[in-house]
Amino acid sequence: MNVPEVVEYARGLDHVTLADEGRWSCSVDYLSRMQALIREHRINRVVIASCTPRTHEGLFKRNIQQAGMNPYLLEFVSIREQVSWVHMREPEAATQKAKDLVRMGVAKAVLLEEGEEIRLPVKQDCLVIGAGAAGLSAALNVAGQGFQAIVLEKSDRLGGMLNTLSLVRHDSHHADAAQWVQSLAARVYETPGIRVITGAEIETIEGYIGNYTIGLKGGNGSPGERLHVSTIVVATGMREISPEGAFKHGENPRVMTQLELEKRIRSSKKFQPPEDREETNDLRSSGFHPEVKNVVFIQCVGSKNDTRGCCSIGCHAAVKNALALKALDPDIQIHILYRDLSMVKEEGEMLKEAKHLGIRFSRFPDDRYPEPVENLDGTLVVKTMDILIGKELQLPADLLVLTVAFQGDDTVEQLKGLLKVSANPDGFFQESHVKLAPLEFPADGVALAGCAKSPMMLKESIEAGIGAAMRVSIPMKRGYIEAEGIVADIDLTDCNQCGLCHKRCPYSAISVDADKNPRVIKALCKGCGLCAADCPRECITIVHFTDDQVLAQVDAALLEAPEKKIIGFVCHWCALGGVDMAGVSRLQYPVHARLIRVMCSARVSMKMMLRAFEKGAAGVLVAGCEFPTCHYISGNYAAESRVRRMKKKLARSGYDPERLINVWCSAADGPKFAKTMKDMVKQFNLDNAS
Amino acid sequence: MRDAILIIGGGIAGINCALNAARYGTKVYLVDDTASIGGMMARLDKTFPTNDCSICIEAPQMYDTDNQENIEILTHTEVRKVKAKNGGFDIRLVKRPKYVDEEKCTGCGACVEACPVSIPDEMDGKIGGKRKLISMAFPQAVPNMVSLDPACRSGEMQDAGACIGGCAVDCSQCRECPIALCVKACEKEGKNAVTLWQSAKNVKLEVKSIVVATGIDAARPAGDLLGYDLYDNVITGMQFERLMNAGGPTAGEIIRPSDGRHARRIAWVQCAGRGLAPGKGVPYCSKICCMIATKQVIITKEHDAAVETTVFYNDLKAYGKNFWGFYQKAVDAGVRYIRGRPYEVQENPETRNLVVRYENLETGKIETHEVDLLVLSTGIVPNERNAKLAKVLGIELDHLGYFKEKDPLTAPLETSVPGIYLCGGATGPIDIAESVVQACAAGMKAVLRP
Ligand SMILES: Cc1cc2nc3c(=O)[nH]c(=O)nc-3n(C[C@H](O)[C@H](O)[C@H](O)COP(=O)(O)OP(=O)(O)OC[C@H]3O[C@@H](n4cnc5c(N)ncnc54)[C@H](O)[C@@H]3O)c2cc1C
Repeated sequence: MNVPEVVEYARGLDHVTLADEGRWSCSVDYLSRMQALIREHRINRVVIASCTPRTHEGLFKRNIQQAGMNPYLLEFVSIREQVSWVHMREPEAATQKAKDLVRMGVAKAVLLEEGEEIRLPVKQDCLVIGAGAAGLSAALNVAGQGFQAIVLEKSDRLGGMLNTLSLVRHDSHHADAAQWVQSLAARVYETPGIRVITGAEIETIEGYIGNYTIGLKGGNGSPGERLHVSTIVVATGMREISPEGAFKHGENPRVMTQLELEKRIRSSKKFQPPEDREETNDLRSSGFHPEVKNVVFIQCVGSKNDTRGCCSIGCHAAVKNALALKALDPDIQIHILYRDLSMVKEEGEMLKEAKHLGIRFSRFPDDRYPEPVENLDGTLVVKTMDILIGKELQLPADLLVLTVAFQGDDTVEQLKGLLKVSANPDGFFQESHVKLAPLEFPADGVALAGCAKSPMMLKESIEAGIGAAMRVSIPMKRGYIEAEGIVADIDLTDCNQCGLCHKRCPYSAISVDADKNPRVIKALCKGCGLCAADCPRECITIVHFTDDQVLAQVDAALLEAPEKKIIGFVCHWCALGGVDMAGVSRLQYPVHARLIRVMCSARVSMKMMLRAFEKGAAGVLVAGCEFPTCHYISGNYAAESRVRRMKKKLARSGYDPERLINVWCSAADGPKFAKTMKDMVKQFNLDNAS
Repeated sequence: MRDAILIIGGGIAGINCALNAARYGTKVYLVDDTASIGGMMARLDKTFPTNDCSICIEAPQMYDTDNQENIEILTHTEVRKVKAKNGGFDIRLVKRPKYVDEEKCTGCGACVEACPVSIPDEMDGKIGGKRKLISMAFPQAVPNMVSLDPACRSGEMQDAGACIGGCAVDCSQCRECPIALCVKACEKEGKNAVTLWQSAKNVKLEVKSIVVATGIDAARPAGDLLGYDLYDNVITGMQFERLMNAGGPTAGEIIRPSDGRHARRIAWVQCAGRGLAPGKGVPYCSKICCMIATKQVIITKEHDAAVETTVFYNDLKAYGKNFWGFYQKAVDAGVRYIRGRPYEVQENPETRNLVVRYENLETGKIETHEVDLLVLSTGIVPNERNAKLAKVLGIELDHLGYFKEKDPLTAPLETSVPGIYLCGGATGPIDIAESVVQACAAGMKAVLRP
């Protein structure tokens, strides 16, 4: 494209004081020249026409700030990725497009307002809910920094699940569970800054990061005590799902779950737990008439079916307990009946050890679980099909151990309401992002650790506890949290208190007061714009992406020959990434699109789409992240449903709904974006239109 | 600089550790010995079990890392010497030359276009991936700049048509180059960033703690494994991942290396090479391969539901949250999962199709299955540079080659040297979410050290 021509054009636009061409505008030389020019001409808005805001916006923002300007007074126009790299064979049309993009940039820039990072103070105190391995690890690490940690446990002792286990293992490492809990608890009590409250339950939770008030019921604190903390770690653990009569559990005392077996092993002589002597029976005298000689394990009870997945830890637990039984009595015959053996990496060593000791493994078909049959003396025979040898087996069982599935704690149902977070049907909390935010909830300052998220091993729970401590410690150490200046702003003049914004905000960043008036807690707002686009009374706007600014871009784009132009609203995180990728890959596509960046496709309101049609655009594109990815949790879902509604509205208003296109494009998918452009041009017959 | 930490390895674990520590307020040196941060995730297409696009979620974190004032990124950099001192460490790093000036290069790509030599890419060679002798690691690379292959400068690429390397003097003797096309192209752009005479640089640091985040690698198959070396249409899971990636060498088209035609019948072999003699295959379960293959079949079906897909497996590892549902999604999409052990592969020389012989573990019978493309899930291995690094750091590897934790049950992620911590694939085969959890935890431990 002809860059000098574009510069010349820019120079002639209203409000433009200076247009300068820099060969490499991100180079150190040019950045200092830019600062000098800003100072010399006392410039108060800057438009950069160069590469892409996804990589370079931060750099230019810092640069104009160093020149004494507010960093939010910058508008970025992408003429490399969106023009010169993708329209290499049409220099004239490309130059024209670049001019349009610059005009759109200037139109927005004149409306830009100063913005600022918004801070909310955060003090150094944290509530840890649940005193299992994860919770205690979190508390120790929070307190290790000199911060306050309050550990809240509903039962009367620390340790959680470990209180019911015999020993814990990780490849060749063994530890006695009771001793493990004891030494951890001792450290908790020794550490200054940790307060332990047991036997208490949470009744109310109010507030947000920096400002939580928690109402308690019962416990060793003062009655009706209210706790004030800045952050929360949720570590409520999990429990076994009772087999509910299946496999004769509850009917025959010889049938027990893995945890019930652990308790018996724990209280048998060999392990001598230092506390907890109430169960003194050992395995042989625990109410079974004959000596226990044959033990059968059935894996995947209640797991891997239509409603529930793999229990994650059952194979390890079964092999570990089988080895423990062998250690108590080498003559015990053990049979483990399984579907898939999930023993990874070094656990393979445990498996070898088990096989070496004569523990037998037999695989049953996914659709035919083993069946226990009772003998007259109460002992059992387990009938099963071994698919590896292709034979029916009848295994005698003095003990039948069921490896059952897990579910979240009973209190999850209540807690999820109080914390305004979600959980799956089994009561495991839903983390903020499955891959990259596994330790937190969408709301700032609330972390998630250990088996409250999903079943995991002790080592993983400890890691999660320490990691969760890190997540909540960052704002506590800094003393504040900070939001970028791109946030929602509510003007209550026309508000009818419908509460939609409060309900729909994925980050709980909009609160309502006693009069039902909504208020944005700016420091918590991530600026997606969902509330603004949804507000039926148009009371909400997003700083830096106001209705006026976006509409001005639409108008500027369609100033000339609108019938040949496509207005594209693209989200910053993925769709624009796809656009950039098409550029980097030099994919050539038609020149008709004029793209407008929004942070999330959820920001694109019906009014914006409609404006483009009113001004005569050939078509409108709304492009966001491919499902299920969304930088703002679920903005693209909201955008999708809005586009669907918009199509109906367009039809009613006499526009062709087929000219509104919705595409979900990943940041790697340059080809998809290029193809979308080609398809739209073809569909709207733009190459031939006069 | 006592209140600083060193993170070795800039994959998703290293990046998350760095971001957490930097936001906490600690100065971070993030070292990677390749040309860009990003690690394994930068090569992946989608990620199980949500099928989030990998680079879409990783790149914003990479840019954040680049923009954090508290983080100094050192790429092409190796850790050479570590000495414990006053409760912290004295570090010596060596920054290998990229032969490009980091301050000046803007990633415009003019030099790449000018370079006359394309060679098969190390990663994507078998599926047609090519790179120039001067190139960018991948489009989203951080830092966003090119580097020159040292083999070009040393003259090894002359036969392939390289424009330099045949001179009487070594490049280090000159301060400008009249012949290199990349140098000229860069001059023409007015930048003069390509500097063939650049040399390695020593960097010294003082830190209070070290986090090792050197990651994992996909195992390369032993040559004769199920026809890998013999037949074009036998590829690895890693190569398939690149094949289906819209940013990969085929722009996401799932085509056969032999003839570039779309594959209509594809099979995956799980645990390929497992149980074979030492050196022939990975001897342990790598935990994540079942879900990787499941992801790959689901994406394949999404590209084209008519493609016939089969997975041969032993034990299905659907160990994590929502993994089982992910597997069921594949089954619902029509993927066949066969409990079976393939042991022989033969190519039909005319069609270049492959006939797989396998033992069906449920029926005990020997059966055959014909496909257009065969994918070997060869498992995950430790990064091969671990041994050298372990020596420098004075910490141990376990018998499988991963870094050893002192006591995983009471002090996970700690090593035998106080102040040196682990996270991510450095500890063993692991998925992204678990890497991130460990990264946060190791970051906590590292910043907490006085
Ligand atoms: C084919 C395949 C598909 C996968 N798919 C998925 C998926 O869908 N979902 C999922 O959750 N996981 C998946 N994974 C696993 C995922 O890639 C890993 O969990 C994750 O990337 C590990 O991150 P990391 O940071 O620990 O290691 P890496 O990403 O390997 O990063 C390590 C970094 O350290 C650098 N480095 C190494 N040694 C040194 C040294 N000595 N000095 C300096 N730097 C060094 C390397 O260059 C690299 O940049 C997949 C893996 C493979 C192989």
